[in-house]
Amino acid sequence: MTSQGAFTIFIAAIFINNILLSNFLGMCPFIAVSREVRTAAGLGAAVVFVMTLTSGLNYLVYAYLLEPLGLGYLLYIAFIVVIAATVQLVEMVIERTSPVLYYALGIFLPLITVNCAILGVSLFMVIRQYSFVQSLAYGAGSGVGWALAILAMAGLRKKMKRSRVPAALEGPGITMIVAGIMALAFIGFSGMVPM
Amino acid sequence: MKQPPLLARAQARMAPGALTRDGFLGADPRDLVEILQADDGAVRRLGLTHEAIGGAMARLTDAALERLGATARVGGFAVSAVEAMGQLPCPFGHAGLYPKAEVRARRTRDGAERAWTALHVHLVRDHGFYQGRGSPYRIEPADLAGFLGLGPAAD
Amino acid sequence: MGDVLTAVGVLVGLGAILALILVMAERKLVHSGPVRLTINDADPVEVPGGEPLLSVLRERKIFVPSACGGRGSCGLCKVTVRSGGGPVLPTEIPHLSPEEIEERVRLACQVKVRGDTAIEIPAHLLEVEEYEVRVEAIEELTYDIRRLRLAFGPGVAFRFRAGQYVQIETPIYDGLGEPVYRAYSISSPPQGTGAIELIIRKVPRGICTTYVHELLLVGDRLTLNGPYGEFYLRDTPAEAVFIGGGSGLAPFESMLADMAERGIRKKVTLFFGAVARRDLYDLERFAAHEKAVPGFRFVPALSDPAPDDGWDGETGLITEVVGRSYGDMAGMEAYLCGSPGMIDACVRVLTAKGVAEDSIFYDKF
Repeated sequence: MTSQGAFTIFIAAIFINNILLSNFLGMCPFIAVSREVRTAAGLGAAVVFVMTLTSGLNYLVYAYLLEPLGLGYLLYIAFIVVIAATVQLVEMVIERTSPVLYYALGIFLPLITVNCAILGVSLFMVIRQYSFVQSLAYGAGSGVGWALAILAMAGLRKKMKRSRVPAALEGPGITMIVAGIMALAFIGFSGMVPM
Repeated sequence: MKQPPLLARAQARMAPGALTRDGFLGADPRDLVEILQADDGAVRRLGLTHEAIGGAMARLTDAALERLGATARVGGFAVSAVEAMGQLPCPFGHAGLYPKAEVRARRTRDGAERAWTALHVHLVRDHGFYQGRGSPYRIEPADLAGFLGLGPAAD
Repeated sequence: MGDVLTAVGVLVGLGAILALILVMAERKLVHSGPVRLTINDADPVEVPGGEPLLSVLRERKIFVPSACGGRGSCGLCKVTVRSGGGPVLPTEIPHLSPEEIEERVRLACQVKVRGDTAIEIPAHLLEVEEYEVRVEAIEELTYDIRRLRLAFGPGVAFRFRAGQYVQIETPIYDGLGEPVYRAYSISSPPQGTGAIELIIRKVPRGICTTYVHELLLVGDRLTLNGPYGEFYLRDTPAEAVFIGGGSGLAPFESMLADMAERGIRKKVTLFFGAVARRDLYDLERFAAHEKAVPGFRFVPALSDPAPDDGWDGETGLITEVVGRSYGDMAGMEAYLCGSPGMIDACVRVLTAKGVAEDSIFYDKF
């Protein structure tokens, strides 16, 4: 399983094993921040950055600190600490470089910390016994996949503004249904790469 | 529940001494976002909107302010306002400044009285904010609607 | 046992390293080193980077008016940022008109000084200074209006024009979070520089006025800054109406005493709008001014006199009283001091009577 090339893993993480549409991780911001394409793109970029960074960092922490010391059982707490710190860093960078994006992302920037997709990526990386390069590729791919999904959803929702949605399904309801249909469509990609 | 930075900033401005001496939240331990949601629910259950309640308050407030401290009589209410010098900003960071005015409204039919401020009218109408429990100007949405004689809006 | 210690050690170490990185990042990102700030055409000065412009200016004893203490909600602290300052923030947009954004007007409390910055502020703000004063006397004028006499330290000369105002820093009391600033007109004439008088009406639940009315004692010390405002008697031969409500007689007392002192001749009528007799004050002072200032007339008016007031003077809203006292008012000047609602109502009546809009003066603070 660990013999796959980094590029294959990258592509697979985007389309076949899309962290959002096949594992349904990271749904909370996916539904809440997909109202506008611009903010969705901003959050998507932040997630790509955080996922790549944390999968790399967490690989190092796991491979060179936890496993040699026989502390594999600490991985959850260690990963969370690393993710929290990384998100804080990203928050500072965004506030400094783009205050406008900072306000647009609002609560969802610190919420990336508890975005299960981020932790999920780090855990999958351990379960699948990826190497450092593979982990980076997997993290980046998952991030891009998540960003792609939220961008697609934001685009769809922009169109949906003009369509007549039953009152009871407005907002999160129809978004969940659309996410389900998108997931079905993404199943079509499976088989492209043997996993 | 964590709240968006803009609401968190608004909540900071609502602390005692930030914009007004008593602040807007009283002894309410809830976060601003929870207060807003709870009162929004209460108003919906009444079949009303914040615009309708705030609009009725605004009509009385404007009539009182026009009389520069003297009593005005409008539609079954006797209203008067004490307006001070100076102006107040909106804690939500809305543009503009609001008069520092306390409005007292008495319903002539039964002598019931309520008091609010000119800023409170804006907070109700544009933000659906009825202040925190224990704040001097907190009026429960249901009580306020009843006082103003508002029934469920016909759809 | 050893396992537990390693586990704890690893976690603590990991946490410490991450915390260290964050602290360093914050140093680098949030607080940049000293930057150069250019104010108007003066030479650039070095200021610490990363702080809001408003507090940087206050540090340098330049007082840009602000009513909300730098929270971006009053929109008063507008300055022109010629260079630097970064993009306009979402918190500023509601306060700025498209023309202002075009002219690079920003809210000083929202702009962070992060790189070299050049700003423009009105020149008279540079003359505003901070003063320590001592409460020399407190006099009850009505049930809710007090006169304060504030003495400057020996050798301090506070210069102002009759009609200008100062901002009082309300100290922290009752566990309130931070000092706030509130504006009050000076009621004493500019000739006595050793002390000034203010007339302060108690505002229901007001921060500063509650302090002044309930806690302030003779002998206490206060911090104030000033003078501010464009509200002073214009040097023209035109006939003038003064309209004041509540504590709004303060600047007119200063102007009239100044007129008497300097022998200025101008036809002036002061209308004082109040609700009932219990709101009137300083009637003897104005009677004295009527004798000392040729051409000055004082007209108090009550809108809702109490039955036992025995009032035989003018009654009605102050706008109605002014309206029926004059025919065509073209060519006259008007000076207004009172609540924003009173000012708006007066401006409507005065312009309808023919007073040119640029001959109506007021400080709406």
